[in-house]
Amino acid sequence: MRIRPIARHDIEGLKVLARETGVGFTSLPDNHEFLIAKIERTLAAFESREQSEDRLYFFVLEDDSDGSIAGCCAVEACVGTDAPFYHYRLGSLAHSSVQLNLHRTLDTLTLCSDHTGDAEVCSLFLREDWRRDRNGALLSKVRWLFMAQFREAFPDKVLAEMRGVFTPEGRSPFWECLGSHFFPMDFDEADRLTGMGQKSFIGELMPKFPIYTPFLSESARAAIGQVHEHTRPAVAMLKKEGLRWEGYVDIFDGGPTVEAYIDDVRAVRDSQLARVELIEGNAPVTDRPSIMASTLSMADFRASWISHAVTQVSEGPDEGESVVCLYRDEAERLGVSAGDSLRVLAG
Amino acid sequence: MSSAPMLVVRPAESRDLLALERLAATATPRLTNLPPHRDRLEERITRSQRSLRAEIDFPGDEIYCFVLEDLETQEVVGTASLRAEAGAREAYYTYRQETLIHASQQLNVRHEVQTLALSHEVSEATLLCALSLDTRYRETDADSLLRRARLMFIAQYPERFANELAVAFPGYLEVRDEHVVSPFWDSVGQHFFDRDFNEINQMAGVRSKSFIAEVMPPFPLYLPLLTPQARAAIGRENQRHEYAMQEMLAEGFSRSRHVDIFDAGPLLLAERERLHTFANCGWHPVRIRPAESLPDAVPAMVANQRLGGFRCVLARYALTPTGQLMLTPEQAEVLGVEEGRAVLAVPMPLPAVDEGEL
Repeated sequence: MRIRPIARHDIEGLKVLARETGVGFTSLPDNHEFLIAKIERTLAAFESREQSEDRLYFFVLEDDSDGSIAGCCAVEACVGTDAPFYHYRLGSLAHSSVQLNLHRTLDTLTLCSDHTGDAEVCSLFLREDWRRDRNGALLSKVRWLFMAQFREAFPDKVLAEMRGVFTPEGRSPFWECLGSHFFPMDFDEADRLTGMGQKSFIGELMPKFPIYTPFLSESARAAIGQVHEHTRPAVAMLKKEGLRWEGYVDIFDGGPTVEAYIDDVRAVRDSQLARVELIEGNAPVTDRPSIMASTLSMADFRASWISHAVTQVSEGPDEGESVVCLYRDEAERLGVSAGDSLRVLAG
Repeated sequence: MSSAPMLVVRPAESRDLLALERLAATATPRLTNLPPHRDRLEERITRSQRSLRAEIDFPGDEIYCFVLEDLETQEVVGTASLRAEAGAREAYYTYRQETLIHASQQLNVRHEVQTLALSHEVSEATLLCALSLDTRYRETDADSLLRRARLMFIAQYPERFANELAVAFPGYLEVRDEHVVSPFWDSVGQHFFDRDFNEINQMAGVRSKSFIAEVMPPFPLYLPLLTPQARAAIGRENQRHEYAMQEMLAEGFSRSRHVDIFDAGPLLLAERERLHTFANCGWHPVRIRPAESLPDAVPAMVANQRLGGFRCVLARYALTPTGQLMLTPEQAEVLGVEEGRAVLAVPMPLPAVDEGEL
């Protein structure tokens, strides 16, 4: 399995992913023109290296045994520059009077665009048949290696929006209590329009004044900042990297947005460069790989699990140099040969 | 006529304190602006007397407190007040009902959202308030006299009052488990104060309503987020005040977008010149006749032209061909007028009101 930038010929594979994602996955609607445009945006970002703000880096997970597309993930370099990017910020308002012997603090939800200009890791999806061998972790973490390698292409902060709470019937209590009063459409339609990038309607229809959360139903309040049960592993992985919930939630389903300074993300901090040395034979099969490597060129970016961690040369002219040993099949998968360098992350 | 009780509306005096206390305690529902609190009521009488003595060129923080006395029993059976400027010392807070239009060209959608926003807009109006009447007199002419005699007072001393008059009615309440509750308060104020409606009403009476309003959250409330019961209570008068509300609508007041911040009771507004009483009252010289020789005529409110000694009684709108108003000797005595002195009179009956048109 390996990660690479999406290419034009991946359109059919991408459509399969789009059909399998379903509701609540706003960034991958099953729409031909939209997906084509997504690929083109990615190609522009990878090839031209131009520093326009509106850059999308979209990756696919390719099964190198037969070339099929098993999953995807992406990084938006800078959100909110072409279309507004909204959140609710959960805050509190003290409410007190000495004479009335009153001191209460009420939670409020305030519409904001505080994350304008931040990077976003998004669009992570792994098809059912490939949910094994830590493929999900590969898709999640590759983005940190990429950002570490091309650090200057990204801003200070990064965020990830997590899917909120839904009932087993697929209804969002947060939406039903709040959004539905302001959007004369159902959740799926609102969600679809957002996914298609038609976000300005949100600002036009959303309540501009803070919402006092005690006015919401109990189930809606309980959904604020909570994730869908299927999303818990994804949140756990991001939290291990150091991302935190700072009180921002999705305006539709109330799901949390986790965030961090990119330089503080564990994988960004801990990844290191190492020179490739080849060893004979193919890698032994494992279902718990833990060392990840990615290439250093943007256009030919590749990443995959490898077998061996980085070591330091202990003697000779190269003493102290970091070296990573690859089996032949690992080197082929990444498209590197002896003497090239890789960015490597352990754990 | 002679069998009807002799009723008079006059300014409150110190000796009325106990009666005021009783009326405050029996007001249903309790009125924030008429707390059953002796010191507050005593202070109100004093302020009222001071206001009546003062030279006034334009409305300020004066308050005029009146009582309704049944002269037969010499009992004070009702009270009502005028606040020259609703928010003279503080701001007068209301919730104003507003409509925000959320439109998106992209989606071809136009969506109206109702909000309640804290407002001070009514602060400069003159407020008719604090009316409480002994239940035996409810929905009789005495009720109307007490309520509308204040308009006769304003008509005589226009410089003391604002052009815009406001009257707030108690809001809709429910009895739940033997407790009186306000569905609106339960859905709104309760969140912010953690106190029930009766408690907050009491506090507001002793301190002041705007004192509490200042602690209300400053942002507008979105109506769709209130309970259906709370929404239904917005602008709905208390069950016990339907008659009074109809009378004020007939008098010429209109429903406004303003409602009470505690119970969402309606606030009616009027330009005073548009009120029936102002449009139809007139000065007439008095002619004193024995009760039995007075012709039959519609009831009328008749007021003398004294400030501190203001008196307003119920009489008949019995005019001589030359426009003199015929009063009995008893009525003339209560008003303190002699034959030939001018009094202000207006027929009591009000035009029918069709709320469907409002």
